[in-house]
Amino acid sequence: MKRKGLVFSALVLSIAALLSLSIPGQAYIGPGAGFAFLSSFLVLFLTFFLAIFSFLSWPFRFLLRLAKGRQAYKKALVDKVVIVGLDGLEPSLTEKFMAEGKLPHLARLKKEGSYARLQTTTPAISPVAWSSFMTGSEPSKHNIFDFLSRDPRTYLPALSSARIAGPKKTLSWGKYKIPLRKPEIRGFRKSVPFWKILGHAGIFSTVLRVPITFPPEKFAGHLLSGMCAPDLKGSQGTFAFYTTDKEKIKKKEGGVAISVEVIDGRIKTYISGPDNSLLKKPEELRLPLAIDLDKEKGEALLDWPGQRLRLKKGMFSPWVKLVFRPGLGMKVKAIAKFFVSAVEPHFEMYLTPLNIDPEKPALPISHPFIYSVYLSKLLGSFVTLGEANDTWALNEGALNEASFLELTYSNHHEWEAMLINALCKTKKGAVVCVFETTDSIQHMFWRYLDAGHPALKTTPSEMSSGIIEDLYKKMDDLVGRARQSLGPRSVLIVMSDHGFKSFRRGVNLNSWLYLNGYLSLKEGKKESEEWFKDVEWERTRAYALGLGGLYINQKGREAKGVVPAGEETKALKAELIGKLAGLRDSQTGEVSITEVYDRDKIYAGPYRENAPDLIIGYNQGYRASWDSVTGKVNGAVFEDNSKAWSGDHCIDPRYVPGVFFSNRKINRLSPSIMDIAPSVLQVFGLPVPAHMDGRPLLAAEEESPRKKGRKR
Amino acid sequence: MWTFNSLIGRMFALIFFPFRSLHPWFAMVFISFLTGLLMLFVFRLTSNQKGIRQVKDKIKAHLLELRLFKDSLPVTLKAQGQILKHNLKYISYSAKPMLVMIIPLLVILAQLNLWFGYEALRAGDTALVKVVLKKSVAPFEADVELEAPPGLAVETPPLRLVETGEVYWRIRAKKEGVHELRVKLAGQNVTKTVIVTAKPLARVCPMKSASLLDGLLFPGEKLIPSRTPLTFVEIIYPAKRLNLAGLGLHWLIPYLVLSVLFGFIFKRPFRVEI
Repeated sequence: MKRKGLVFSALVLSIAALLSLSIPGQAYIGPGAGFAFLSSFLVLFLTFFLAIFSFLSWPFRFLLRLAKGRQAYKKALVDKVVIVGLDGLEPSLTEKFMAEGKLPHLARLKKEGSYARLQTTTPAISPVAWSSFMTGSEPSKHNIFDFLSRDPRTYLPALSSARIAGPKKTLSWGKYKIPLRKPEIRGFRKSVPFWKILGHAGIFSTVLRVPITFPPEKFAGHLLSGMCAPDLKGSQGTFAFYTTDKEKIKKKEGGVAISVEVIDGRIKTYISGPDNSLLKKPEELRLPLAIDLDKEKGEALLDWPGQRLRLKKGMFSPWVKLVFRPGLGMKVKAIAKFFVSAVEPHFEMYLTPLNIDPEKPALPISHPFIYSVYLSKLLGSFVTLGEANDTWALNEGALNEASFLELTYSNHHEWEAMLINALCKTKKGAVVCVFETTDSIQHMFWRYLDAGHPALKTTPSEMSSGIIEDLYKKMDDLVGRARQSLGPRSVLIVMSDHGFKSFRRGVNLNSWLYLNGYLSLKEGKKESEEWFKDVEWERTRAYALGLGGLYINQKGREAKGVVPAGEETKALKAELIGKLAGLRDSQTGEVSITEVYDRDKIYAGPYRENAPDLIIGYNQGYRASWDSVTGKVNGAVFEDNSKAWSGDHCIDPRYVPGVFFSNRKINRLSPSIMDIAPSVLQVFGLPVPAHMDGRPLLAAEEESPRKKGRKR
Repeated sequence: MWTFNSLIGRMFALIFFPFRSLHPWFAMVFISFLTGLLMLFVFRLTSNQKGIRQVKDKIKAHLLELRLFKDSLPVTLKAQGQILKHNLKYISYSAKPMLVMIIPLLVILAQLNLWFGYEALRAGDTALVKVVLKKSVAPFEADVELEAPPGLAVETPPLRLVETGEVYWRIRAKKEGVHELRVKLAGQNVTKTVIVTAKPLARVCPMKSASLLDGLLFPGEKLIPSRTPLTFVEIIYPAKRLNLAGLGLHWLIPYLVLSVLFGFIFKRPFRVEI
């Protein structure tokens, strides 16, 4: 070793001596060094330029900030507010684990600050609840009522939060239509998130992965979109499952199954990309993929344009880049992970949805645009899809439980790194980060807490109830680390948007409506395929779509509406409420629906008209059935939920409150999710806008420390 | 060493053969292109590509940080520190390929210097011939003589500088060709090639030396045997300049710019992180 070092030193010295002897012109030692020196010189030059610019302009910016900042923080009670959102953290479990001493950091927060169950929204669905969280207002003021809304002209579902359409102006050229403008991306969430109000007042915020923040809005801060940000296909996540097993090739919800064949140890297949929107007749973009199998080693060698990857069975690949070329020299970039679950007797491989590459985003996923680029360069590639954890892949058997957990926690660690980075960089202002890990894992593993769950008999059960306990402990540890980074003038809020309950039985409302004469099928049909394909609208008075919505087929509103608006609609709603509230499960005898909410009684905002006419409050253990959500009609109203997705929260909101923890005392026992936005404004000394329905929770009795200082 | 120099010299002669009658810029662009590719190849093989990619990402991230957190002095100061730290790391990652490349590049540069460093004589041109004697030989006592072939003429008697041990003659080129001057001293002969041509690109070696280092830097001719009382013989050719919009550039400048440029252009297709 020592000798090697000596030889190396001698070599370096000889070369240096040789160089010192050469004529000055030859001191340049070639392009290799040129590469390095030019690049690093460029960086140094840029750094010094920015440093000098920053120093020269600093006094002016300082004065400006001082003026703004003084105004901004003039009445502020705190310097920093940190909100850690743990989607779906269930209060009953949290309380149980705290009592057992398993969540020391949350217990400490409760002891030193406050803890309460947090009222959620009606309906208790994440996009609705988080929209109310950020705007401080009830759903009819922010216009989000479910994941899906319906188009009354077609009765078809549409994503409730955003719409991505092609550019308005294009240039026709041969087989191409060249976009002359950017694609049209419209967000449907209305009202103003609190970080925008903070920004107006000069208070900086970092907002990470909060649901319904796609498309990202401009404001004075940084934002990375969360739930509802699409994948590269424009969907909410489409995985691919490759298999040689013909029996496993069937329609996969949330994904595509691709049949492959092994010929001489090699599989030739493709990676399914987005539609080529440059073409007049769009067709799917595909990347050729060759897979060489080494059965002895249990490995697969994946080969696609520009890259090769050796992957062992049972291991996830790191994020890999996939470049699609729609033509005209354009490139669309995605990132994805591969997972080979079996090599023999059948080959099986899972490919995550094609996430928008944060380093070269095909669609804006952050504000400012460079924020996702920055995070990617600093922390590495990360999942950008809104519904990041691939619950459908587990539901449909493309991933097993262990690999689903591995993928989910890998995503979680990426978000943790972002949060820690934001906490380090934000000395003053707000930091908000939502983790959907808690929601996804509870959805998929709740059955382990419920011995009577039907899915325990039908789905592979490799794990135990320890999964959820472990999840809660991990979140507690995260809270501990977040708290450590805070100073004395910081507020920490840990909260969930709703809780969780078991989802044992599904209720097909459309079937109930059909069997009770409110919904009619076409002549000769006794069932309807999804999205009401066989529904006779002219004889239908009501229909259900999404996780909790029931609509009246109203004349003048729906394309083929039959129920006149006004008294007749009111009467029909009253009739339906009367029949549905208290509806008993014919098999178990249990009440399946505890409450039916009339939108005209619970909402008062300007977007009430877009809400479902009735919102169904299911009892614990029940939820809209899988078929009902997608507008299928059949003869069975109740059915067992046999999917791994065994926990849910889309039920009567009274049964699924969230949690609220803070390091500060609160002024009431029963806070609501709508109270958080006004509370943040309040602690920063800003007035609460009149449109907000929530009321400040924190520190209402406290006085500004600056004021205190002046009095002294 | 001569075998090696001669082999490399022939290789370069082959490379430049099609360019002899063309403007030197063509040859310069071509050799810069080849060097750029060669260096990319060497860089890819010898450097820590993953490390370079990571450190460059970090530098870019902290540069973006300067913009994203422009109102936070502590964050921007820290970012600047990080940029400098990662820049040093980046340079350290480039050290290994740089060291590997130094020796082949010295060889290449020495060869290129012969092709682009000096203007060959044209018929009718004059040039000085300089002979440096070993210290043991007194210039005035030495019976040193310069003999010209028919294509050259020696125009002056020898001019001797006692202090430096140098002897000068002026020669005139009479006709095109590769001519051999003969320096006679103490019964020993040393020949030196003189190139007379009107072609824009020619291999011109100005010096023939007894020193090993000079042999490396001017690899166009054999070394002078060590027993000969001469240190070196030099023809003082006019320096060659590459004309760019009226500017006479030393060949190293376009070579540096072009080879780096080609390197940057082809780094993506060849997937080299630099």
